[in-house]
Amino acid sequence: MKYKDYYATLGVARDANADQIKAAYRKLARKYHPDVSKEAGAEEKFKEVSEAYETLKDPEKRAAYDQLGRHAQGEEMRPPPGWEQNFGPSFGESGFSFEDVDLADLFAGLAGRRGGPGAGARRANIPIPGQDYEAAVRLSFDQAYKGTEVEFDMSVPELDEQGALRRVPHKIRVRVPKGVTNGQKLRVPGKGGKGINGGPDGNLYLDIEVEAHPLYRAEGLDLYMDLPLAPWEAVLGASVDVPTPAGRVALKIPEGTQAGQKLRLAGRGLSRADGTSGHLYAVAKIVVPSVVDDRTKKLYGELEDASAFNPRAHMV
Amino acid sequence: MTTIETSTALFLDDDGTVSATQLVAQTGLTPHEVELLVECGAIAPRDFAASTWTFSARCVVTARSARRLRDEFALDDAHAVAILLRFLQRIEELEREVRGLQARI
Repeated sequence: MKYKDYYATLGVARDANADQIKAAYRKLARKYHPDVSKEAGAEEKFKEVSEAYETLKDPEKRAAYDQLGRHAQGEEMRPPPGWEQNFGPSFGESGFSFEDVDLADLFAGLAGRRGGPGAGARRANIPIPGQDYEAAVRLSFDQAYKGTEVEFDMSVPELDEQGALRRVPHKIRVRVPKGVTNGQKLRVPGKGGKGINGGPDGNLYLDIEVEAHPLYRAEGLDLYMDLPLAPWEAVLGASVDVPTPAGRVALKIPEGTQAGQKLRLAGRGLSRADGTSGHLYAVAKIVVPSVVDDRTKKLYGELEDASAFNPRAHMV
Repeated sequence: MTTIETSTALFLDDDGTVSATQLVAQTGLTPHEVELLVECGAIAPRDFAASTWTFSARCVVTARSARRLRDEFALDDAHAVAILLRFLQRIEELEREVRGLQARI
C-alpha cells in the first residue's frame, strides 16, 4: 500500500485542529474545484484534497490514519502491528492483504465498518445502504436518437462476506433509452455498491454527453438544422429533398421564404419510448453562387431592372 | 462465458416521481436539508397540500447537486447551500437559453 501524506496535501500541520483542517480544505476546494477552476490538472488536484479531507475531517478515520505513522509520500508501507485489530477487526480474520488496496479505499471501508452511517453498524447488524456510483457516458447523436446499450468496466471497493475490503471488478451493461439529450442525468437502480446487512444496493448515476452532429443541433427534444436555399427557391418556392434522422423527406418551401425562417417538420426531432417527441426545424439560409457566369449575371441584371423591390425601404 | 445482465437506465425528469423518503435516500441529504431546499424554492413537491410530499424525479438531480455543494465545498450551513443552488440553477437556465439560441441561429 502506498502512503499518502494527507496533511501535506491540505498544507496543514499534523496537530492542526478540525477548524484549521476545514479552513485549509475550503480554500483548496475554491481553488481547484472543477466547477470553478480553469487551471490545468485542477480536477486531479481536487480529488487529492477531497480524499485527504474525507479522512482528516472524521476523528475516527484521522486517528486510524495517524496510527499508520509518518512515511514519505508514495512510500510502500504496511500498517503497524495491531492496527487491523483496532480499526478493522475482520481484516485479520479474512487474511486481508494491504498490497492491493488504495489508502482512500481503506478509509472509505472504515465508514461501513466503524464510523459510517451509525458507528458500529456492521457489528450491530444495522442495514447500511450501498454507495452510489457515477459515470460519464459519451454517446454519438445516432445512439442518443435510437437508444443504445453501453458497457462499463468498473473497479469498486466492496466489503465481502467476511467484512474485508476488496477491489471488485464489475462489468455493467446499461440500456440507455432513446431520446436522451446532452446533460441528461439517468439513474440505474441498484447498480451502485452492495448494501450491508440487508441495506439497499446503491444506484448508478449516468451523466450523458451527446457528441455534436454535423447537421443537427439539439435543444431538448427539438432539432435544428440549416437549410441552404438558392435565391430563386426562396422567392418562388420549391420542394427540396432534406435529410432527417429517420431518413430523407421532401420539404415544401413556401413562396417568399425569408432567411432565418424556420420550417417545421413535425415529430421529426428526438423521441422517447413514452411517445413524446420533438420537431425538426429547418432554418432557411439563402445562399448566393460565388462563381457567376455571364448568362446568370445577365439574368440578374434583367431582374434588377424589372424589380421595384427595395430591401432597405424602411431605412429611407 | 459469463452473461452480463442488462439494466435499464431511467430518466430523472418530470415523468418520474419519488417520495420524500426516496429523495433523502437517493441524495444523501437529511430530511431537514430537503425541507430547506423546498423553502428556498430550489425544489417543489408535486402538491404542497398533500399529507406526504412527493417530488418529480428531476428533483433528485437538483438535490444531488445540493449534496455535492455541501460536501465538496465543506459548506455547513444548509440555508447557504439552498441559496447557492438557486444561483446555480439560474446560471443553468441562462446557459440553456444560450444553447437554445445557438441552436436556432
